[in-house]
Formats: sequence, structure tokens, C-alpha cells
Amino acid sequence: MAITCGLILASILLLAADKSPIEAISSIFRDAFTCSSFDRCNIFTTFALATPLMLTGLSAVVAFRSGIFSIGQEGQMMLGAIVAAYIGHWVPLPDNIHSIVISIGAIIVGGLYGWFAGWLKIRLGINEIISTIILSEIAILLLLYLVNFPMRGDRGATAYSPKIDETAMLKVFAPGSKFGTGFVIAVFAVILVYFYLWKSGKGYEQRMSGEAPRFAFFGGIKSEKAALRGMFISGGLAGLAGAIEVMGVHYRINQGFNLMNLGFDGLSVAILGLVHPLGVFIVGIFLAGIRMGAQLGLQFTLGIPRELGGTIIGFMILFVAAEKLFQKIFDIDLRSKFRRKKDA
Amino acid sequence: MLDVLDVFNIDLIRAGIRLATPILLAALAGAICNRAGILNLALEGKMLMGAFLGIYITYKVGNTYLGIILALILGGLVGGIFALFYLKYEVNLILLALAFNLLALEVTVYFMRILFGNVGSWTDPSINRLPEINFLGSETNEGFLSIFNNHNLIVYISWALVVFVYIILFKTPLGRHVRSIGENQEAAETLGVNVARVQVVVLVVAGMLCALAGAFLSVGHMTMFTRNISNGRGWRGVAAAIFGFQHPVGVFFASLFFGTADALSLRIQSVSDYPPSLVKLIPQFSTIFALTIVGLRAKFLVNLARIKFRRNLDNKNK
Repeated sequence: MAITCGLILASILLLAADKSPIEAISSIFRDAFTCSSFDRCNIFTTFALATPLMLTGLSAVVAFRSGIFSIGQEGQMMLGAIVAAYIGHWVPLPDNIHSIVISIGAIIVGGLYGWFAGWLKIRLGINEIISTIILSEIAILLLLYLVNFPMRGDRGATAYSPKIDETAMLKVFAPGSKFGTGFVIAVFAVILVYFYLWKSGKGYEQRMSGEAPRFAFFGGIKSEKAALRGMFISGGLAGLAGAIEVMGVHYRINQGFNLMNLGFDGLSVAILGLVHPLGVFIVGIFLAGIRMGAQLGLQFTLGIPRELGGTIIGFMILFVAAEKLFQKIFDIDLRSKFRRKKDA
Repeated sequence: MLDVLDVFNIDLIRAGIRLATPILLAALAGAICNRAGILNLALEGKMLMGAFLGIYITYKVGNTYLGIILALILGGLVGGIFALFYLKYEVNLILLALAFNLLALEVTVYFMRILFGNVGSWTDPSINRLPEINFLGSETNEGFLSIFNNHNLIVYISWALVVFVYIILFKTPLGRHVRSIGENQEAAETLGVNVARVQVVVLVVAGMLCALAGAFLSVGHMTMFTRNISNGRGWRGVAAAIFGFQHPVGVFFASLFFGTADALSLRIQSVSDYPPSLVKLIPQFSTIFALTIVGLRAKFLVNLARIKFRRNLDNKNK
């Protein structure tokens, strides 16, 4: 429902630009979910883009489920990426172990950053939305600083850190895209988060302290501790997303690393996926498709600004938020039908 | 090494005032919303919308003041739509705000690109910047009074609005209703306050204030529009509302604090060769610092109340 409405409103915007909406939207899907040949396969690229989206989406899910509306995935991701770029280049380690060490490092650093936002919320009552937004900006600026000065690779026009060692790179399955081990890790994370939240005692504690803090309190759950644990996991997942972006896609951090807004898209993924890990899995791929399609299909082929992709996502969130609106409209319809039946 | 006098001079304060203005307007919007029991996080998006509409209408109409006024009206309309969604369809306001922020960010760039070609920022020589008002008659920026001289109209309007909001909030029945809703919505409702109507008014006014803040950015301060021109100022407005304890005068000083932090960071960038990204951290850290102070104060007050309560109990038991 939300998806249809989002597409309809986007079509109106397209008409405003004198472009055929049907052509545009079909080109989004054509360019995102098809495969012309094995090495030039758009769907693999979509999967590669879906990887960080799924992880940041999961991060948001875990945070929301502990009752903290954290939108700091962006910043946690940046820190994860910084850690990955640092360990990847400056700490020599053998194959495989290298990427594992990076992942653990990124999870810890991102997790601590998430934990800090949670701590500010729980100890000082600072609104988590504001604090995480600002913490994200701080992390982005830190990344820009590091990339421009201490970690700068060579004197190029745009600043970037040196390439990470080959031992730290993740395997790529399909040549020509970045679809590789990262995606497998993301899918694995989806399953793990599902089991953590719904099948484990700790996850139960966390969900309870998020949904019904009083109940959790009287039930003897240390809700503050559970929420902070949730925030640590949330930050860790976002940090892992950043690390995978570095290890599997870019192999370095560069000046435009934050411009892709992957962290904020993760938030959208979580909301559209109805704050559930499995929803995140599906919506992550879907949103990645829209982003890819908007870039490849609209921008390159039809010359429509790729911001339309983001606009569609924005409208969809709006309509998910406006769930009640549909219920009301639907409700009225049902009632009038009911009345008609009565009259008959 | 950097000379302290190079940084802290009258220009810094003037720049601080200029940069504080959009934050102040957004913060006033945030403050009245918070007073009416609404956590309005869409300030950023509304500001961006106002910035785009302001410059676009100015371009079309050819008159800056008319452009700003029309942007104001449209901003109020957006606020009204928010009110409709929130009150009639019970949409979660936080989700609505986040969706709106994302939407504003993307839609403004989308329209900029389809209207003016594929560009990263857009400006047109026909657009006039708001003129500065020079009421002292002196050309130079010397002396203490010149701090207040030579700003454009919106700056003075924002100061007038501080007083205006103060009077409305604390001296009129409408303000009393607004505050009562924020304190305790059910109680206000029971006493016959029309909660929905007050909240609609507040949201519309907030939308207008944010549009004004945005118009200040696009046609008052610079004459251009770029992607994400508001650059977190709306969020700092939310923070300033909290830091100013939702009180117009407090909000004024909080915004001035953030504005000066902004100006300081710009100033240090221009007179020294410290890495710009590190210097840009100053406003961010000042925000976190401010929020921490508010948090600590709240905690302190709770503890104080607890101590007093204990003492009273002890006295009674004796």
C-alpha cells in the first residue's frame, strides 16, 4: 500500500518534469533487478548495495526494540569504516584473520559510540534523536579530517586513505560487481538478530524494556542495562556495515564516503521493514534496487535527477507512518458497505 | 600560532548574530511546539523547504519581500498539513518528521535539478539579497552599537519575535492554554481547552517560523540554494530550544551561543590553518555540551526534590 502510494506520488513529480512516469519507474526496476550477462549483472550490484543497508537497518531495529529511537547509524558506520581503513593498511595480519580482526574492531568501536548515545539518553535524559544526529555529524567530520590529514594516501585532487592490504579484502563472487562475502555476512546478521531478539532471554529483556518499561521493571529486568546492551549491539552492527563497505567495496575511505547516506537509508529500511529483521532483509534489497535503479536507469539513461529515488523512499516512509490514515479510509469503506447491506 | 584578538573581535559577534538568526527562528518554533506538548523534529525539513521556496518565488516574482512572504504562507500550510496528519490521522509525529526531513532534502534537490538543470547549487543574478538596514547612519563597523547595526530585516524581526512569543506565551490566554497543554494535556482538556485547535495554531506558526529561517538562509544571508543548505541548523534549533529551557529569552541566548560557536569555527578557519574539519567540530561539541548541561540540571533538580522530600518526611517523623 505504502509502496504504491509512494510510486504514485513520485509519478506526479515526474509529470511535473515532463517525463513519462511509467517509463521511468519501469526503468528503475529494469536496471536494478536484471542480469544481462554474468559479469555485468545489475542485480548483483543491487545486492552489494543492499549489504550495508541491511546491516544499518538491523542496527536501527535493535535500537528501536530497546526503546531508543537511535538514528546515529551514519556516525557509527563512519567510525567502523575508519577502523577498517586503519587496521586494513597499518596493521599487517595474515589472510582471513585480518578481516576478522577488522570486523571485531569495527563492532567494538561502533558499539561504544552507540552505547555512548544510549548512555546520554538513560543517564542524562538527552533526547536520543538530537544527540545521535549530532554524534553522526561529529563522526563524519572526524572521517573528513582523518582522510585529509593523518591518513591521507597520496596527493590527489580528492583525499583518500591508502588502499587496504589484500589480506583484508573480502572475496567477491561475481566479477564486475562488489557482490561478495559481505552479503553473506549481512544475511547471517539478519538471522542472528532475529534469534537474539525473539529467541533469547536477553533479547526478551531488551524488547520488554523497550515496549513496556514499567512491566520490565516490575518483572525484575534491569531495563537500563538491557537498553544499553541493545544500543551497543546496534552501534556494533552499524560499525560492521562501515567495515564491510571498506573491506568489500571501496578498499579505502575517501572524502565522499558520507555522501551516500547509507546510514540514514538504514533508518528508512528499518521503518519500512516494520522494525523486524526479516522485513529489513526484504526492504533492504528493495531500497537498494530503487537507489541503484534511480542512479542507473533515471540519471544515466533518462536524465532524471537520481534524487527521485530518495523521494520515493521518503514518500513510502510517510505512508508507513500514516498507517492510521489508510485504516480510517478503509474503515469508512467497510462501514458504508455494511450499511448498504443492512439497507438491502 | 593564532592570535586571540584576531578571532575575538566585533566581527565575530556580528557573524554570530547573523548565523544565530536561523537557529533562533527554528528554536522559537521548537520551543512553542514543545510548550504545546509536541516534539517537532521536522524543523530541519521545513527550513530547507522554506529556503527553496523563498529563493524560487523570489526568482519568479522578482521581489525578495514578496518571495519571503509567500514562502511564509506556504510554510504555514506545511505546518497545517502536519497538524492534519498528526491530529486527524494520529500519525506518529517522529516518523512523520523523519520522513519529511528526508523528503525535503531530496525533493528540493530534485526540483532544483529539473528546473535549473543538473547543478549542485543554483543562483541567479536577478535575485536581490535582502538589504541591510543601517539605522545608525555610519558606514564603518566600529564601536559597541554597530553590533546591532547593518543587519537585514529578518534579523530584527527575529528579535521582535522573541519578545512577541514571550508576550503571547506568558501574558495571553492563548499562551496559557499552550503551556497548560504542555504541562498536562489531559488536565487541560478536562478544563475545556481546545487542545486540537491550539496545537494546529502552534504547528502552523512553527511552520511559518521555519520557513522564515530557511528564507533567511537562501535570500537573506546568501543568494543561492545548494543541496542541504540548512546543514543541521534545524537540529541545532531543536537543541537550542531545549538548551533555552523552552523560554523565548533563554532560547535567544542559546541560539546566540550556537551562532557564535558557528562563527568562531568559520573565523578560525579563515585566520588559521587548522584543519577545517576539526574546527567545524566546535559547533557540534558545543551542542553536545549544552545538552549535557540541560541533562545534568534536570538530574540535579530531581535529586534536590528528592532530598527535600526526604527531609520533610524526617521532620514529620520526628
